Amino acid sequence: MKHRMLSAAVAAMMATPVLAAEGERVQITGEMIDTWCYYSGVMGGPDAVQGTAHHTCALWCSAGGIPVGLLAEDGTVYMVLKIEGDDGSAGGDTQLRLASHTITADGMLYTRDGINYIVVEDVVSDAGITNPNHEDFGPVPGFAIPDPNQ
Amino acid sequence: MRQLGQRIAAPLAACLLAAPVAAQDFSEGSEAKSWNLAAEQPARFEARVVDILCELTGDCPENCGDGRRQLGLERSADGVLVYPNKNAQPAFTGAVVELLPYCGREVEVDGLMIDDPDLGARNIYLVQRIREAGGDWVKADRWTGEWAEAHPDAPGKGPWFRRDPRIRAEIEAHGYLGLGEEADAAFIEDWF
Repeated sequence: MKHRMLSAAVAAMMATPVLAAEGERVQITGEMIDTWCYYSGVMGGPDAVQGTAHHTCALWCSAGGIPVGLLAEDGTVYMVLKIEGDDGSAGGDTQLRLASHTITADGMLYTRDGINYIVVEDVVSDAGITNPNHEDFGPVPGFAIPDPNQ
Repeated sequence: MRQLGQRIAAPLAACLLAAPVAAQDFSEGSEAKSWNLAAEQPARFEARVVDILCELTGDCPENCGDGRRQLGLERSADGVLVYPNKNAQPAFTGAVVELLPYCGREVEVDGLMIDDPDLGARNIYLVQRIREAGGDWVKADRWTGEWAEAHPDAPGKGPWFRRDPRIRAEIEAHGYLGLGEEADAAFIEDWF
């Protein structure tokens, strides 16, 4: 009897990680960023891979199919899977058009294995590009803007 | 005997409860090349290629969305959904083109895992090679070739990201900084 109870408990615990995630309605304000440059540090620190400094690279990465994230004001990143019915999260036009923009997104949040995902049902507001950090960092990477002298 | 059973059962249960939060080492057998990233770890594992939006919401089109959607790797060892953000090319290119041929199938992948608590990065992956069970490894570097085939008449010189029509249109409309032509001109004059 004891063995059967222990086996059942073990089986239940082993099964836990594969349970489907549940969604939660949220409204998030943040910047649409290129997640690989942000997470990997390949281009420098997190402050340098957002805003105007990194806008051209954000276009490259979005068009290249790298996941786009919504970087909230508290530093949380939400991986964007869909925007207003457009499921083109791998190089789609809607995500490309919104690169580096600060938006307020209303939608459903899903969390799984330490990653936040958002399905944006409505872009409540789009403030455009609001972080003029090229004044601090220059273009990131340095070759993002072609040198007119070469 | 009863006490012995309790002594065995308690640590076992604690161990199993702790398993989902403990970082596992998937570096054994990996031949991943380093990118000299601060948080990178070699990671080779078996997984099923899945449409992430489908997995989370139940919205599941044919063939994982035919390349429109981001794809995930549901790891066989622990069920964790790994997010491949990057392919093997240093060219601003993602992983979907590389993984789409394996939609819904079991594969083995080799690459670099990024887990950086300071940035909130968990289970973020750069895939360098892929194979099905018993098959040959395939390098995850097809993206630029696929782009070239799709854009035989793209104007200009240099790498794809200088010539891509959609990127060129965005820069033409809003500038390199995204603030318009005047802001670009002032910055370029000052910076270079």
